[in-house]
This record gives sequence, structure tokens and C-alpha cells, in this order.
Amino acid sequence: MIETLTLILSSSAILAVPILFSALGETYDQCAGVINLGLEGIMSLSAFVALMVCFSTGSYLMGTLAAISVGGLVALIHGFACVTIGINQIISGLLLFTLANGIADFLNTYLSGYKVFFAPLKAINIPGLSQIPVLGPILFQQNIFVYLAFLFAIVLGFVLYKTTWGLKIRGVGENPEACDAAGINVNRIRYLCLILGGVMAGFGGAFLSLGYLGLYGSGIASGRGWIAIIVVILSGWSPYRAILGSLIFGLGYSLAANLIGIGIGVPSYILQMLPYITALIVIIFMFKRTKGPSALTVPYRRK
Amino acid sequence: MEARFEKYISYPIGLIIALSIFSAILLAMGFNPILSLEALIKGSFGTVFRTSEIFVKVAPLLLTALAFLIAFKARFLNFGAEGQLYIGALCAYLAASQMGGLPSILSVPLVVLASFAGGVAWLAIPLVLKVKLEINEIFPTIVLNFIAILLVNWLVTGPIMDPNAFIPQTRAIPRETWLPIMIPKTRLHVGLIFAFFLAFLIYLILQKTVLGYDIRAVGLGPRAAKHGGIDFSRNIIIVGILSGGLAGLAGMIEVLGVNHLMIMGFSPGFGYQGIAIAALGRFSPIGVLPASIFWSILLIGGRSMERATPPVPIHMIHVLQAVLVLSILIVQKFLTVRRQK
Repeated sequence: MIETLTLILSSSAILAVPILFSALGETYDQCAGVINLGLEGIMSLSAFVALMVCFSTGSYLMGTLAAISVGGLVALIHGFACVTIGINQIISGLLLFTLANGIADFLNTYLSGYKVFFAPLKAINIPGLSQIPVLGPILFQQNIFVYLAFLFAIVLGFVLYKTTWGLKIRGVGENPEACDAAGINVNRIRYLCLILGGVMAGFGGAFLSLGYLGLYGSGIASGRGWIAIIVVILSGWSPYRAILGSLIFGLGYSLAANLIGIGIGVPSYILQMLPYITALIVIIFMFKRTKGPSALTVPYRRK
Repeated sequence: MEARFEKYISYPIGLIIALSIFSAILLAMGFNPILSLEALIKGSFGTVFRTSEIFVKVAPLLLTALAFLIAFKARFLNFGAEGQLYIGALCAYLAASQMGGLPSILSVPLVVLASFAGGVAWLAIPLVLKVKLEINEIFPTIVLNFIAILLVNWLVTGPIMDPNAFIPQTRAIPRETWLPIMIPKTRLHVGLIFAFFLAFLIYLILQKTVLGYDIRAVGLGPRAAKHGGIDFSRNIIIVGILSGGLAGLAGMIEVLGVNHLMIMGFSPGFGYQGIAIAALGRFSPIGVLPASIFWSILLIGGRSMERATPPVPIHMIHVLQAVLVLSILIVQKFLTVRRQK
């Protein structure tokens, strides 16, 4: 029993990671006033790219770098469409999702000769701490992506709340006119945040293929991109609280995966609904009166 | 003032940009783009059957596009057409499978109603959240898509699976409930006419009725609607019912008209594609007619590209479609903004 519980909790922490990465980036996007609904697609594409590059170079680092570069590049398309030109961010985000998913599946089918599988990145056991019963395996026997995600959450939270950069970002999302008058380049900040958002979703995708599954399948993100955006709203646009938000959904995915594995007599398709039902419950009970940045989805243009 | 020139010129320019990007990707992958495009065109217009297949796909695409745009007019973003389509199809199947022996004139309208109700039911939670708690509808509708697909997957692999089938699907529905075929030796069924009729109906509602005016007023925001003495909640509920219902009908069309049973993963994302088609058709019930036909030509032509040598995976068509709509929207916006300066 205690072993099962440890397993479920430790894989909650793991499964929170891709959501956390993407949610952190999306927090920056939205704080600066741009919503990016394309995360789901970016995650799938970068998962594929990470796997292929890692396979051909033999380096997890190269795979990850390629994945985050692709994530940033795809986000640039959104930046051009929504920040420079100013088309509807919701529609553009959806098209970005289709586009990135399409490229990933196209490449996957086209290169299917490879049929790449390999062992996911090994866990790093933190000496001493990893030996603590229950908590050790959950917190201190994870791979580098897991540590990195939680580190990013703290760093990005600090930057957003305690530095001039963070102030500018939040200002651009709340009152772009005032920021412009104060000599801040509104669109440049929005672009930078979008690129960061793409890079973080790229980390999320790279984790899925390199750090968790060791393979790619169509629809690999399985809703995590959308759920990341739900986490952003749930955590009230705070990188710190995003940790907790991601863990809730990590638990949903972990319960689904582990209960299917154990076999408790409930059909697997029903168990797979767990993260989505969690999302629905979160939306119903937590989304009342949430208020995002004032200029969210409003393109900025000088009068 | 409506900028007519920008409106139309953006289509050829967008198409040229999208085709250039499409060709560049194909070239980079070692394909011959000319041959691929030739296969695409031949594949969609080569024979009567292939051309008829275009219109078989138009029916559900048109309905999901209408589902998105009617709600979009009131700025209600129904991203859940995919889930509503699955539930509409499920309700259509469940109703139709009980109707053996009933004359078509009775059974088909009942099945149509069932699917409409199913689509509406699947939008009920997001709709109530929007109206009662002012919760944005995008995320509940998307989450419900995943739940709907898993629900259908479970049912067709278990409770309603045909015990004699080798793949996850149900038994066929009774013949009386099949939609009649319009052209022999094709799959083109009367559902297409039904979809066209609904497009015209939505056009009439939006352009010629007080309800249409109210819906557009609500689209300007709750405060503006209140100023004009228009009930925001009531109108959101009305567009929600129409939107969910239309998406449910799209599912019905696939069950009664094409598959005649429920099968796992029968929708290749019609619900999401409807959103892109609505944007391509400028959110107009008339505009989505050519938009959905063009969309369908690409899908059917894409299948031939997939059979050509060397085969180009169908996903490339999804890439082309997304790039196309993005390019057109960007060009449109760019030209309009420039003109205003």
C-alpha cells in the first residue's frame, strides 16, 4: 500500500513537470497581455524534435536545445500574427496548435522508418536526501528536468515580482499605454515573453519524450498544453502557485496511469478522464471572479 | 465602412503565400511540390466519386463552422464542437438503434432531435458557468472534448460494441434511419442539403430577425447589451443552444449519412476544423459555404497525395490549411490597418 502511494505521488511530481514548464511560460505570455493557445501543438512538436535530434546526435542536451529552439520559433509566428499585425489571438492560437501538431505528425509519419524508442533520461539521486523513506523517492530521485522545472518556477517567480523586468512585463499587460509613455517598448516585451513561452513549452515537450516516455506518439501532449493554460488561471498568474496547480493535475494524470497499471476494474478510458474531470472541477469551483491582466488579448497600437 | 478590396484581395495573396510555404517544406523534404499539387487536384476532381466525396465531407464541416460562428457573433467562444459532435453522434446512434421498423418519416426527425439535444447537453455546463458565474467558456468546452471522446471510446470498446466486430465499433443502425443517397454509386447523402438549408437559416436569423440583431449586440459585451436593453444571459443561452445543437447535428450526419454506426475516432477533428473554416469564411453563414467546400477539396485531394509516389502524409494538408488561414487573416489585417493610417 505504502509503495503504491509512493509510486502515485512520485509520478505526480513527474507528471506535473510538463504542465509546470508550459504553465510558467504561459504565465509570462499572459502577464504581458498575450494569450497563446498553441501550447498543446508546440509541446507535441518539440517532443518529436527532441526525440529525433537526441536519437541522431546521441545527446539529450542537443535534443532539448533543439526542442526549445523549435518552441521559440513557433511562438514567433504567434508573435508576428498577434503582436505585430494584431489578428485575433484566440484564432491565431488555435491555428498554431493545428500547425505545430500537423508538422509533428507529418514528420513522424514521414520519418517513421526510424521508429525511435529509447530509455528516458536517468534519475539523479540526491545523496542522502534520496534515502528518506516515501519523501526521498518523491522529491529526490527524479531526473534533471524535474529539478529544473521547480527551479524555473522559483526563478521566474522572483523575476516577475522582484525585478524591474518583471514590473515592465506586468505593466505591459495591465496598461500598455502608460508603459509606452514611460518609454518601454511594449511589443518588444511581448515578443520576448512569447519566445520565453515557446521555449518553456519546448522544455515541456522535451521532457515528455526524453525525460518520461522515451518515444513519440501522435497527440503525445494529450491535453497537457490546454491544462497548462488552466493552471495559469488557477494559480492567478503566479509562477509560485503554478507549482501547486501543476501538482494537482500531475496527481490526476498519475492516478489515471497508475490505476490503469494496477487494474482496479474500472475501464481504462474512464480512468483516463481523471485529469480532465479534475480540470472541470477546478474550473467550476475556482474560476469564479478570476481576473487576468487588463490588456490580455488586446493588441497594442500607438494612437 | 466595410473594406471590400482588402476583404477579397487577401484570399489570393494568402493562398500564394501558403502554397509557397507548403512547396518549400515539401522541397526541403525531398518531394516534388508540382507533382504533389497535381495529385491533390486530380485526387479531388478526377472522378465523379472523388468529387462527390468532397461534398460528403462538406456537410459536417459546414455544420461545425456554423456552430462556431453563430456563437462567435455573440462573442461566445464554443471550442467544444468536437465533443458536442461526438455526443450528438452517440445520441443519434442510440436513438436510431431503437427505431427499427418505424417509417423513416418518423424515425429520422426523432434521431435529428436526439442529436441536437445531445450537442446542447454537452455544452450545458460551460453555458451555465458563463451565464451564472461569468466563467470563460474556452477551457470548459475544450476539457469536455477530451471527456466526450474518451466516453465514446469506452462505450464502443465495451457496452455498445458489436460482439462480432474485430474493431471497436457498434452494430449498424436500422436501414430506415439511413439518409437517402442522392447520386447512385456515391456516398453523397441528403444531409448535405440539410446542412445548406441550416446555413441559409442561420443567415436569415442573423441578418433578418430581431434575434440576430440582439446576438450581435451581445457580441459587443454585457455592458453594451444592457445599455441597449438587451438581455445578455438570455441571448447567450440562445446562441449556446444553437451552437451546441448544430455541432450535435454534425455528428448525426456522420452516423446516419456516412458510417451508419458508431466507430472509435470517427471524427478527424471536424470540430476544431470548423473554427478555422469559420475564420476562413469571415464568420459569415454565406462565407463558410465556399470555405468549407475549399477545405474539403484539400482534405480529399490530400488523400490522393498520400497515395502518390512518394506518398506525402496527409498531415501536410493540415499544415497547409493552418498556414493558409493564418496568412489570409494576417494579410487582411495588415491591409486594413494600413488603410486606416
